[in-house]
Amino acid sequence: MMALLPLFILGMLSPTPAESVECVGPPEYYAIALLPTRRVAEARLAEGTAHVSFVESPFGLAMTRSGHYRYELNVRVEGLRPVEGHAYVTWMATPDLKDHRRLGLLTENGHLTTEVEWNKFIVFITLEVVDAPEDAAWQGPVVLRGMSRSGLMHTMAGHGPYEQEPCTVYGYY
Amino acid sequence: MRRLAWVLALLILVPPAVGQHHHHHAMPSASDSLQWRMPPMDMSMPMMPGLETAFPPTGPMLPGPKPYPLARPGEVVSLADKDTLHLEASPVMRTINGQTLVMYGYNGQYPGPMLKVQQGSTIIVRFHNALEEPTTVHWHGLRLNSRFDGIPGISQSPVGGGEAFTYELYFPDDGLYWYHPHVREDVQQDLGLYGNIQVVPKSQTDDNPVHSEQRLILDDVLLDEHGLIPWGEDVPTHALMGRFGNVMLTNGVTDFEMNVQPASVVRFYLTNVANARSFNVTFGDLPIKVIASDISRFERQIIVESVPIAPAERYIVEVRFPAIGTVAITNSIQAIDHFRGEFYPSIDTLGLIHVGGSSAASDYDASFEQLRDHEAVIRDIDAYREYFNRPPDKELELSVRVRDLPLAIMLSMEIDTLYVPPVEWNDAMPMMNWLSTGSQVTWVLREESSGLENMDIQWSFRQGEIIKVRLFNNPRSFHPMHHPIHFHGQRFLVLEIDGIRNTNLVWKDTATVPVGSTVDFLIDMSNPGSWMAHCHIAEHLQSGMMLGFTVEPQNQPR
Repeated sequence: MMALLPLFILGMLSPTPAESVECVGPPEYYAIALLPTRRVAEARLAEGTAHVSFVESPFGLAMTRSGHYRYELNVRVEGLRPVEGHAYVTWMATPDLKDHRRLGLLTENGHLTTEVEWNKFIVFITLEVVDAPEDAAWQGPVVLRGMSRSGLMHTMAGHGPYEQEPCTVYGYY
Repeated sequence: MRRLAWVLALLILVPPAVGQHHHHHAMPSASDSLQWRMPPMDMSMPMMPGLETAFPPTGPMLPGPKPYPLARPGEVVSLADKDTLHLEASPVMRTINGQTLVMYGYNGQYPGPMLKVQQGSTIIVRFHNALEEPTTVHWHGLRLNSRFDGIPGISQSPVGGGEAFTYELYFPDDGLYWYHPHVREDVQQDLGLYGNIQVVPKSQTDDNPVHSEQRLILDDVLLDEHGLIPWGEDVPTHALMGRFGNVMLTNGVTDFEMNVQPASVVRFYLTNVANARSFNVTFGDLPIKVIASDISRFERQIIVESVPIAPAERYIVEVRFPAIGTVAITNSIQAIDHFRGEFYPSIDTLGLIHVGGSSAASDYDASFEQLRDHEAVIRDIDAYREYFNRPPDKELELSVRVRDLPLAIMLSMEIDTLYVPPVEWNDAMPMMNWLSTGSQVTWVLREESSGLENMDIQWSFRQGEIIKVRLFNNPRSFHPMHHPIHFHGQRFLVLEIDGIRNTNLVWKDTATVPVGSTVDFLIDMSNPGSWMAHCHIAEHLQSGMMLGFTVEPQNQPR
């Protein structure tokens, strides 16, 4: 009888079918696949995803004064092996790399959760020496990188119905 | 039952027999406003090849050419319990951006009169339709008797031109509401048929004191140098994204201004009456204190930078003006240029607030800084918390189907829908959007469990039931877009967005479901009657995105 007790307790803890709630997560559509660059042996097999969901807001949508979305960025990476004296640091940058921000260290489990306020950006992870100054740009190799879904937004000049439209007219080369 | 539902839907979509219409789909001359004119495009994109001579496959229409009385600014009408209001919808003349236009107005005003009533009171509205087309009045957000909800075919027959209808309105909840037509609102509402209702609480509230109050009704209208761009005669144009205007209106004017004293605190009552545009409202760089939304105060007051407000939503906010100067009310967004594939900052000034003169006599700084909990709202919502974690009772998927769109549009969409933003803040493809009509585009609310869609869905509930509805906005459809979903006659809480629990709740009647998102509504089925739920982008509603539901009285067997 006592041997059945753990099963009984497990049964008490498990939700009944009528009460089970399917978990809803961040939109898959906007998930950012983080792909390895294979520049560092310890990260060669790593892969991950950065999910975006709206920061809690009284309006549902979370917006900045300038009209950017306020996202909670949830980075999950697997397959990163530790490197002595180094740490994995997450960054974001504009697609043209003119602006960048240091988002923070990945945990030992390869996690990072932070808030971002850009609409179109690259997320990347570098391997930095542990005492690298936090206010400097990245120095180490990029080990994973991905682009926000909005990165798929591309000029129509020279494409599709506008294929006869010379894209140089619009500043694209 | 299903056939009846479709009959009702057709009645809702009944095309107006307006004063003028024209069937020649040809480019207009400057003097002929009854031919199609392509809407102005505020972008550096070339005309799409193959569409240079294309027009929407429906006739153009504008309200009649006769001279009508000049409309006057909206007035505030205070009404006591059992009072009667005479309300008339009629054509009016208005001047916008220097152009004199034939539009519509309630009681000859823009916006319609603001009705100020007491919570718990009942008023009679004797409505007369002086338009040449059928209409109704929907009292948005009120938990009123469904016979007076203004839905043709569900709660009443359309009120024909020259006919009358008497509404009896009851106001169980304090707050900010509005009224508008529910027949071709893509046309009639856009032409100016809207007004606010302010329901004053019957008991003392814990609101902090303010120096003044101001309503801000936000709208836009689509104009070119010849006047209003015509609407679709039988079906709406702009069926893909809704009809965005290119001229912003605040309280019906393009040059809204107000004066306040330094150090004053102003309470603003915001309503978005636009067909399709969501606004991101800022007051310069001043912090904004959010007090309430559609049907109640928030559980907790909060300071924000901006107020995103979708069509049909309302927010009550407060702003403190510390120093002499001018503060711009703006719509501040990151617009999309699909041709260039870029976001770009876009700021439209919605109004100017001149801060000047002597400082406000009373010092409300401390009370403004204090963020209060609204205990009455928290207590009210407490009764519903046991339902928060239950599985959804109903699930809806939001999507779209298209047919017979020009090939150039289909090809172009393949490119520009590689990325779809959570919210379309601007009309990023004005020509394609204009050419799409309600006969080619069907916006869909689909219930997977039954396989039913739109008005084939006829839910039945019992008064007092608490229903969780999960809405998923499918990003993989042809051209997904966000949808402000409105449930008539009831109130609901937005519990979660994408699994993120909302910890500062407010009773709503309209809330946005962004693209790709899953949003849980907890609906208090408190008000018996026959109702509908729909997207409040007017062209999406007119393109089918609606369902029906009934709430049986508690003491009546099913």
